[in-house]
Amino acid sequence: MFDRDIWVEIFNSIKNNKLRTFLTGFSVGWGIFILVLLLGSVNGMTNGFHSQFNDDATNSIFIRPGSTSIAYAGFEAERRIQLKNDDIEYIRKSFPDDFENISGRMFRRTTARYKSETGSYTVQAVHPDFQVIEKTIITKGRFVNTNDLVSGAKVAVIGRKVKEDLFKEEEALGKFVEFNGLPFRVIGIFTDDGDDNAERGILAPISTYQRIYSNTDDVDQIALTYNSSYDLTKALEFSGRLETILKRRHKVAPKDQGGIRIWNYAEAFSDISNFTGILDTGAIFVVMLLLTAGIVGIGNIMVFTVKERTKEIGVRKALGAKPIQIIKLVLLESVFITALSGFMGLFIASGILAVVGPLIEAPAFKNPSVDFSTILISTIILIIAGFFAGLLPAMKAAKIKPIVALNDK
Amino acid sequence: MIQIKNLHKSYKMGSNSLHVLKGIDFSVEEGELVAIMGSSGSGKSTLLNILGMLDNPDSGDYVLDGVPIENLNETKAAQYRNKFLGFIFQSFNLINYKNAMENVALPLYYQKVGRKERQEKAVNYLSRVGLKDWATHLPSELSGGQKQRVAIARAMAAEPKVLLADEPTGALDSKTSYEVMELIQNINDEGNTILVVTHEPDIADMCKRIVHLKDGVIVEDKKVKQVRASEHV
Repeated sequence: MFDRDIWVEIFNSIKNNKLRTFLTGFSVGWGIFILVLLLGSVNGMTNGFHSQFNDDATNSIFIRPGSTSIAYAGFEAERRIQLKNDDIEYIRKSFPDDFENISGRMFRRTTARYKSETGSYTVQAVHPDFQVIEKTIITKGRFVNTNDLVSGAKVAVIGRKVKEDLFKEEEALGKFVEFNGLPFRVIGIFTDDGDDNAERGILAPISTYQRIYSNTDDVDQIALTYNSSYDLTKALEFSGRLETILKRRHKVAPKDQGGIRIWNYAEAFSDISNFTGILDTGAIFVVMLLLTAGIVGIGNIMVFTVKERTKEIGVRKALGAKPIQIIKLVLLESVFITALSGFMGLFIASGILAVVGPLIEAPAFKNPSVDFSTILISTIILIIAGFFAGLLPAMKAAKIKPIVALNDK
Repeated sequence: MIQIKNLHKSYKMGSNSLHVLKGIDFSVEEGELVAIMGSSGSGKSTLLNILGMLDNPDSGDYVLDGVPIENLNETKAAQYRNKFLGFIFQSFNLINYKNAMENVALPLYYQKVGRKERQEKAVNYLSRVGLKDWATHLPSELSGGQKQRVAIARAMAAEPKVLLADEPTGALDSKTSYEVMELIQNINDEGNTILVVTHEPDIADMCKRIVHLKDGVIVEDKKVKQVRASEHV
């Protein structure tokens, strides 16, 4: 393999047939080029999809009450379901191993005022766990904590846009801002990867808002994250159990689609994974067809090379070359051409992805690239392909009788 | 050196079978220079192919330097050819993209001789055929006579027991032919066993023994007084 003489001969053979080698290599290089571009694009789409959901934890579940659509347990249809603090407590106690974070949500429109600046925003009243569920990034100060919750403190974490609107360049932390006339102390400022809109929000302790608004224990929604070690099946099974139990608690018919809706990210993600998986498989299938054409091309050229070198091979055998040495010569040349041209396709395509990728600004397309394993697998495929392309011609070469070298009169 | 007994060989030509060698008995001692003569179709090339292990006989015995040559697979045949035999061809059969030295070194490569030693030996043999200064030239830069001398150096490089020359002068003019024959005679003088297939009587006369083949049998086998090629040059 690392015999210098063999390589000298291979280079000689390639040097003497530049055009032929190029044309053959091109087909394989082209195949790999398309493989890398396709896989890179699929990757870009996958990344794009994922970034769309990026502002929430990928293992989150949202519980949203609605109106019943089926009369059940003595109640008429069209009854509004209201979640309560009890429901959160109940989930906490019933599924200690299944959830990781849980938070209630209340949404209230509010007019916020600081000095002469006012604005209309939605306040989302939550539990401390919500920071993890929504992947809220605190850039300054802190998030709502348990103390705030217990004391019902009038504190607020405001979005970056809210801060800009109300405080301009002024320091906001520790200042008091009025929500519908009630003073709230700003304890933190957050940003959100998801979108700018989220940064136009305000977060506050849920207990505070429940007290302000008629002292209820109502909760608009419940958000939670399931045990992150769960796979899709377990995640779906968990949200199934949640649904059953909550429907039972609120006397909603098991078949009722309207009363309580549970939205599980795992499901959305599995759909995306399936989709990109199909794209991946499709891309690989198409490229396999292209590569097959390339391999046949190389095999064809090697047959031709062997035919052209029949006499030389005969002489070599007369001089004592063993069949295995002849096979090695042809196989190595084939593998070399395949691998070299494949790598060229690989590098050019990777280069294009690296240069063009960052320039593409589309919501569902982000950071198209190929990972190391793709490159590794392509390399292995190329070497195997080159091997098979050269195998038949090599065996043909090995069968050449040295007698042909003599029969030249 | 070579013992052949009752050698038969026939070729299938469609439904017919062509009996080419019809029982050849023949032996060669060490140091002999034998010319095998015959018109085309006489079986002389077939005999040489079998001697060169390029072809297998249908029946008969072939012993080379005490080693029975039988049941050869390709690999074994390649080993024996490399160890026992040196070939000289009518059309030289040099590898055109290798220079003279590399061509001479090729049999040594198949003997797994190291690169350096191979090149030293090759240059040594090239100087013995008077082409030391042409070591780095490609075959296309050499004349016919020079090519054949490179081929002879190549045949000798592996230090074989027997040199087999198939019409070594067939592609050369008479002057160059005599130069090549002079070289062959000199090599024979050093004790090497050489078989030359030819249909030219003057070339045959430069050997020490002439074997005549006709229709697959030896019709004449005589020792002759060698004509030195140097007399013609």
